Amino acid sequence: MLLDAPWWIMSDQDAALSPLAVPRIAGPGSGRWPFGRMILEVRLDMPAWKQVVAVACSILIGMFISAVILVASGVPPGELVNEFASNVFDRQSFQAVLVQAAPLILVGIAASIGFRARFWNLGLEGQMVWGGIAATAVSIYHIGPEGLRLPLMALFAMMAGMAWVAIPALLRMKFAVNEIISTLLLNYVATYCLYDLLYGPWKDPKDAFPHSSLYASAERLPDIGHGVNAALPLALVLVLLVFWFAEFSRFGFYLKFIYANPAMGRLVGVPIIPVVWTAVLMSGALAGLGGFLVPSGIAGRLTQGFFEGYGFSGVLIAFLARNNAVAAAIVAVLIAMLFVTGQSFQIFYQIPFSMVQMIQAIIVMCVAASEFFIRHRIRLQR
Amino acid sequence: MRDIVVSWLANLPPLAVPYALASLGLIISERSGVLSLGAEGLMLVGALTGVAAYLSFGGYPLLALVAAMIAGAFVSILFAVLVVLLRVNQVIAGLSLVFFCQGFTNLIGTVANWSNRTISGLHVLPLYPLSELPVVGRVLFTQDVIVYLTIPIFIAVTYFLNRTNMGLRLRAVGENPEAADAAGLSIYLYRFVAVIGGSALVGLAGGYLSVGSAKIWIAGMTSGRGWIAVALVIFARWHPWRALFGALLFGGIEALIPQVAAAGIRVPQYFMLMTPYLATLAVMVWQEVRGRIGSDEPAALGQPYVREERT
Repeated sequence: MLLDAPWWIMSDQDAALSPLAVPRIAGPGSGRWPFGRMILEVRLDMPAWKQVVAVACSILIGMFISAVILVASGVPPGELVNEFASNVFDRQSFQAVLVQAAPLILVGIAASIGFRARFWNLGLEGQMVWGGIAATAVSIYHIGPEGLRLPLMALFAMMAGMAWVAIPALLRMKFAVNEIISTLLLNYVATYCLYDLLYGPWKDPKDAFPHSSLYASAERLPDIGHGVNAALPLALVLVLLVFWFAEFSRFGFYLKFIYANPAMGRLVGVPIIPVVWTAVLMSGALAGLGGFLVPSGIAGRLTQGFFEGYGFSGVLIAFLARNNAVAAAIVAVLIAMLFVTGQSFQIFYQIPFSMVQMIQAIIVMCVAASEFFIRHRIRLQR
Repeated sequence: MRDIVVSWLANLPPLAVPYALASLGLIISERSGVLSLGAEGLMLVGALTGVAAYLSFGGYPLLALVAAMIAGAFVSILFAVLVVLLRVNQVIAGLSLVFFCQGFTNLIGTVANWSNRTISGLHVLPLYPLSELPVVGRVLFTQDVIVYLTIPIFIAVTYFLNRTNMGLRLRAVGENPEAADAAGLSIYLYRFVAVIGGSALVGLAGGYLSVGSAKIWIAGMTSGRGWIAVALVIFARWHPWRALFGALLFGGIEALIPQVAAAGIRVPQYFMLMTPYLATLAVMVWQEVRGRIGSDEPAALGQPYVREERT
């Protein structure tokens, strides 16, 4: 049931590599130009450096469009450049970027491992929410001794993320319910569960704001120097682990099989169901862990919107990194710069934080469009 | 008890209309083979444009709704270029369209100061002799003009899809683009027009949400209705009338939420707010359990057409 070529599966992923993709001259009616005819050819391959140039150009175009929008909405152009440059050159901003990068790395690899199993996990935010709730429950109900608090919180967060992703996974496996929609809808459900807790029993008794009380110091991620907390090394270790898992292990080999050709995989005896389940649960666990890193590493408490923006960022990171864990870590650092800039624009220019999502969407569109030019060649024939 | 039921039924049509129009618009574009996940974003664009046009052009609600339609269609050109011409993966393109629109509408609404301003919006238009009928008069004939227009719009679209040559060709493009191409139809043109036309309806749905029922623009105010509309299309098996039925179902659930509170039943409010999403999941499971027999799912849905790779 899982692999009866459902309609949401990417169909043109490897179109250029298909043996059927013979370059063919377009028939009559394909665009006529005053100076000849436009002919579209499918490229069989393109040198790697050209691909990199094409993607880099499209990212630059996307950033330019974003800059124009921001300037038009009232950010002075000089400040725009300053803010982005300070991410790298200003010590304090750079620390903020590194702190911000850890949860982004986790959602990035979470999304990519899901996509590798052809499971569109768009419920990263919901899994983060439940991860945050589970970790905070450990803090509020004082589960376990103080010394074990942090590992326990991480464990609970991962289990909660797994449990939340298991719902759409089960719906997909048992009833073939499209996981794109179900994971997105479950995000709203998770958010309302969070609101119910934060506006109800978990409201901070000190100030009656809708956030949980501050974590104890044993429940905050420790500093490893220079203002960067333990989240970043943890995330990097997980990146290497996931990279090894996806590229070199037997499991990773199965995943590649499932990604490339599920029907063939089944025929040669790849245990499809268990492998897909493992990948999906890993994805949920990583996102849940991300939901623990934000309250424990950044805010120090569970807040109302701590997960906002991470879901789409995870998808974007996986897309730009082509589902590669190490590349995802690099992209995540760049996205973290965008997050930090977005936060300061929010404070100084009252620009809504969702501008971060907008810029990411513009960049995705540009990069996705550039793939057309990677796969096709346009020639003019006189 | 009777009062509660009547006021529930009277509140139902305005809440069902956004679902109905959005899923109808999606059916048009999906019948041509383009999977439009961007509905959530297009509804936001429609909603913001509706309020913006209302505030800027002197408060004509119908003008605001037309502006919302135009805005939805306009933004969808971007999507159409990406998926039809540039053959971008339709899921990625749809998702990024949603997040682009979320960020963009939030930004524009804030910068132009259109957020959180109540407007008087679309007024109720009682159809005089009929509106005096007991119960039915209040439920069916004391609504606004878009509620009345929804049924004719559905009739027109169904007629177009099933009874005209154009509609037949549009469905052919969604079912078997290779054959349609061989028959001399322009796949790209049909898909382009279907996406833009369908998105105009989605934009209208969004505009109705802000100008007609909420009478305010709040960032992210669609809160998942676009996704529910996408699910409704699957539930409706790409048939307009079944989509209308689904829309009434979801409108009914949404209209029930305030009534439950008014009736004094104590349910935590956030759990009440979850019900539309959970109901969507339930409906999707039910649909799949029944099987896809009788489904009009376009065979080429979600697949870009690359003529140069035709075999």
